[in-house]
Amino acid sequence: MELLIILLVIVALVGFVAVLYNRLVGLRNAYINAFAQIDVQLKRRHDLIPQLVETVKGYMKHERETLEAVIQARNQAEQIREAIGNAVGDPQAMSQLGQAEGALGGLLGRLFALSEAYPDLKASENFRQFQEELTSTENRVAYARQAYNDAGMAYNNAVQSVPSNFIANTFGFREIGMLEFEDREVIQQAPRVSFD
Amino acid sequence: MAAFDFRAQQERARHLSVVLVLAFIVMVAIISLLLGALIAAFLGGDPTAREIRLEPAPAIAIALGIMAVIVGVALFKIVSFGGDGARVATSLGAEEVTEDTQNPFKKRYLNVVEEMAIAAGLPRPRAFVVKHEQGINAFAAGGSPEKAAISVTHGALAKLNRQELTGVVAHEMAHIANHDTRLNMRLMGMVFGLVILYTSGHALLRSSIFMRRGRGNRGTVPILAIGLGLIVLGLLGVLGGRILQSAVSRRREYLADATGVQFTRNPTGLANALKKIGATTAGSHVDNSHAEEARHMFFAQATGSFAGLFSTHPPLHDRVRALDPQFNPATDPIYTKGDKRILRETRHELFGPWG
Repeated sequence: MELLIILLVIVALVGFVAVLYNRLVGLRNAYINAFAQIDVQLKRRHDLIPQLVETVKGYMKHERETLEAVIQARNQAEQIREAIGNAVGDPQAMSQLGQAEGALGGLLGRLFALSEAYPDLKASENFRQFQEELTSTENRVAYARQAYNDAGMAYNNAVQSVPSNFIANTFGFREIGMLEFEDREVIQQAPRVSFD
Repeated sequence: MAAFDFRAQQERARHLSVVLVLAFIVMVAIISLLLGALIAAFLGGDPTAREIRLEPAPAIAIALGIMAVIVGVALFKIVSFGGDGARVATSLGAEEVTEDTQNPFKKRYLNVVEEMAIAAGLPRPRAFVVKHEQGINAFAAGGSPEKAAISVTHGALAKLNRQELTGVVAHEMAHIANHDTRLNMRLMGMVFGLVILYTSGHALLRSSIFMRRGRGNRGTVPILAIGLGLIVLGLLGVLGGRILQSAVSRRREYLADATGVQFTRNPTGLANALKKIGATTAGSHVDNSHAEEARHMFFAQATGSFAGLFSTHPPLHDRVRALDPQFNPATDPIYTKGDKRILRETRHELFGPWG
């Protein structure tokens, strides 16, 4: 009889641990999925920029430095993006990515501000198409980032709170970093602003 | 900002759906019983007898038969759509927009749909445009997020800027996320089942008039009465269905506005889109003859009046005020803009001053 009770308690405990563990796994998969969506959109952003620079180069002859800086920032951001691989959520990697993308966003903003001075460029159909594509990409990145941060918040809450924090500690579920872009204000307004 | 609780909303939509189906069944049962009694009285009895006697058994049997027909037609209509949003869109005269479009208005629209799908965390619905419609309107359809389709009118593309179009698409995306589209599909099927009664009454009346010409007067009176009964009760049923449908729809619109703002984190776009409906002469009107059947699916009132028991949407001003409490129709800069300026400004945004 006593043995049976002990056995039952053990089974209940194991079941409890399993439920908590599975919940953590579910939350981890959710933020990893959410990051995959950001990754797709960042890739799209990085692919668009060289084409954009190629298009505006002919018009913006006096902005060589800005254009070079844009390309450089783009290359750096792309490098960081590629390096992330399995380190999704790693606080250091996330903050690096956030800084690089933020810098790139700032430079793009400057590029579009400078384009105001080139009416021929602004009237070109090609440039307008780029404006639309880039506006859309900025918005997609912003929405995908929001989804990642929401999922990350839910995961972090579970990692920190009782009783799942015991399971998290035992099985190595670590807190993850949010993705914040340096030029936060510009990006958060992105859905409202067309580059006009 | 806290994450929006879709689960609870979906749960509520499902609950509402059950209540609605029950109300519909009760209504159909009453109508069938009345019709059963009518038909049994006129066909079962001796036509030369002075008074009409009512036998309950045949009346109930006939009522059950009628009920089976109504429910069968409703189910057929629901199943024949198969939950496929694209089919509903096509039946309302919409054309799909594909990735290879060169039209900047459509390209932008497709981008906005993609953005809102990401914001809602749902697969991208297929995107359609209802050509030739000058009013500003949109609708979503589909039994599940995977089979959903979003359509906007030509007028919406021509008159709304990027931010406003985003607000409208976010509202439609919210209908999909809250499972309103599935509820709407069912409503459409149910009302169609009742329309059948009315239509068959019409057919019966016409044939009885034809018969009267051919033969004598005898035997046509019961058919005439049954035909009239079908028309009157069918009409009542359709009206009842419409009232049910409209009441539910009005509630879901406010919810979709709120959910849409959660997606965009920006109430201005949606508010301005609603203001432009009020500012333009075509408003949100949709001409398509099938629009009547699907009026509760649209972004704003597609047909009929803007207020009352049968309106599918809350009054425009109330919706704007929920988003922009300072709204004053007399002085609002967008609300007082004319058609021409609105069209010109949208073109300007896409093509520049020389476009």
